[in-house]
Amino acid sequence: MALVLGSALAAIGAGVAVGFAALGSGIGQGIASSAGVGAVAEDSGMFAQGLVFTAIPETQAIYGFLIAILLLVFSGIMGGSPLGVTSGLVAIGAGAAVGFGGLGSGMGQGIASSASVGAVVEDPDMFAQGLVFTAIPETQAIYGFLIAILLLVFGGILGA
Amino acid sequence: MEESILDLITSFGFSSPEAFIALLVMVLAVIGAIVVVITIRPLLEYYPYTYPNARIRAKIGKILSDKQITELAETENLDEVKNYLRGHRDYAKYIDQYPIEQALDANLAESYDTLAKVAPGTLKPTFDILLDQWDIKNIKSVLVAKEAQLNEEETRELLVPYGVLKDDHDKMIEANTVQELIVALEGTPYAKVLEEALPDYNENKTLLTLESALDNYYYERLLVKSSSQEDENTRMLHSYVGTKIDIATLKIILRAKADGLAYDQIKPYVINRGYKLRDWKVKELMESEDLNSLLSSIESSEYGSVVADHIPEFNETNSIAVFDEALDAYERKMADNIFKKKPFGIGPIVGFINKKETEIKNLKVIARSKRGPVLPSSEIKEMLL
Repeated sequence: MALVLGSALAAIGAGVAVGFAALGSGIGQGIASSAGVGAVAEDSGMFAQGLVFTAIPETQAIYGFLIAILLLVFSGIMGGSPLGVTSGLVAIGAGAAVGFGGLGSGMGQGIASSASVGAVVEDPDMFAQGLVFTAIPETQAIYGFLIAILLLVFGGILGA
Repeated sequence: MEESILDLITSFGFSSPEAFIALLVMVLAVIGAIVVVITIRPLLEYYPYTYPNARIRAKIGKILSDKQITELAETENLDEVKNYLRGHRDYAKYIDQYPIEQALDANLAESYDTLAKVAPGTLKPTFDILLDQWDIKNIKSVLVAKEAQLNEEETRELLVPYGVLKDDHDKMIEANTVQELIVALEGTPYAKVLEEALPDYNENKTLLTLESALDNYYYERLLVKSSSQEDENTRMLHSYVGTKIDIATLKIILRAKADGLAYDQIKPYVINRGYKLRDWKVKELMESEDLNSLLSSIESSEYGSVVADHIPEFNETNSIAVFDEALDAYERKMADNIFKKKPFGIGPIVGFINKKETEIKNLKVIARSKRGPVLPSSEIKEMLL
């Protein structure tokens, strides 16, 4: 079955969504995990805390992945009715929203995570405060995710 | 709506919607690449420090707090100090193996060893040289031991079990004269350094001649190797290391002038080059007629404000320890500033070096105070940094 233009645009949106969000998440998680390994090398009791801080920047990739799946399901690529060109352009907007939002948020959260790992390994009482500071850069990804959902709903893609 | 978009695409001169998609993909790819490059660039400087900084901060967390140091100062005797340190894993492994001061040096050397292993590539040359301080210290200990005619076992107790020459300690200890020590050090740069200083030593028979030659060699290499201008982190490490060297020079000259020594008497023992103290300035300081003219000369240097603020206190106490403390405080403040300014870069490394050295200095003060007739804890606390 040949793809129509609208569905092809939605495919680009899906790629941008998961690609950029995963890039930010991957860089952030790489930074956090290298700090986690450093902490565990000095103090094996840091494994659990290191793992928690390393896992946090995963969320951006999940948001991107969810939006990409929704785009693929509702754009006709995986069956169903194909999208029009207008909805296809909306899909690119949705993908860009969650993708670029996730890119910045993931990297920021990775830096905050690694700093928190350093603070906790220096003073274990810093765990809760570190977690709060690390959670803050999540908001940019949430904004991107919410806007992407709104675009999908009101752009005529979800439920199309 | 869809038709109007297709019309718009056609009006732009695209032959088909597919051509428009191709252009759209290319534009998105270019925008994406620009965004990625712009956002990732700052991370490239930070990334090499994430692993080492986590390890260093773990070590900072293990440094004894002010409360713990106070508790140690209040112990009854040296055995209590040792028992206290046995409760800390990093010290426990050395306390029963070596005399207390050597155990403390071993702990400090181990810290430097870890730093040299985990430091990012741009800092490696500096940390490799910093490790040489243990070789220098051990060579100096062997020289002192030979002059004091200590036996092999007593000499061994003075050596710190770290440094590049760790496996050559037996050869060094077996040497009976400076000439034999030079032979034992054959193949290392220290043989040449000692050989060049040997004529002066033979003339004045003062070990300080050989010790100064070793110090000069170490500090000059440290300044050269740390002078990489690769990024802000290497520049900050260079400024910290350079300031430490300047402070060491100033302390030597201050003490020498307080003892009334002249230029010719000081020169062999002063580090030839400094960081902010240029060669001509060091010469000017050494040529000062007395302590007052030295203080005036320092006031016109980069360290003027550090010394000037403490001249009234010096006039009251007539003790140059006032300036020693002021210079030490300046170094600690500088390390603290770097720690705050570069928390994701060189900051924790410099902060750790300073905190660890301060801890070891304090522990040595406490250990010495407990060795002979035990000093009151209030007096010990006054001596702590």
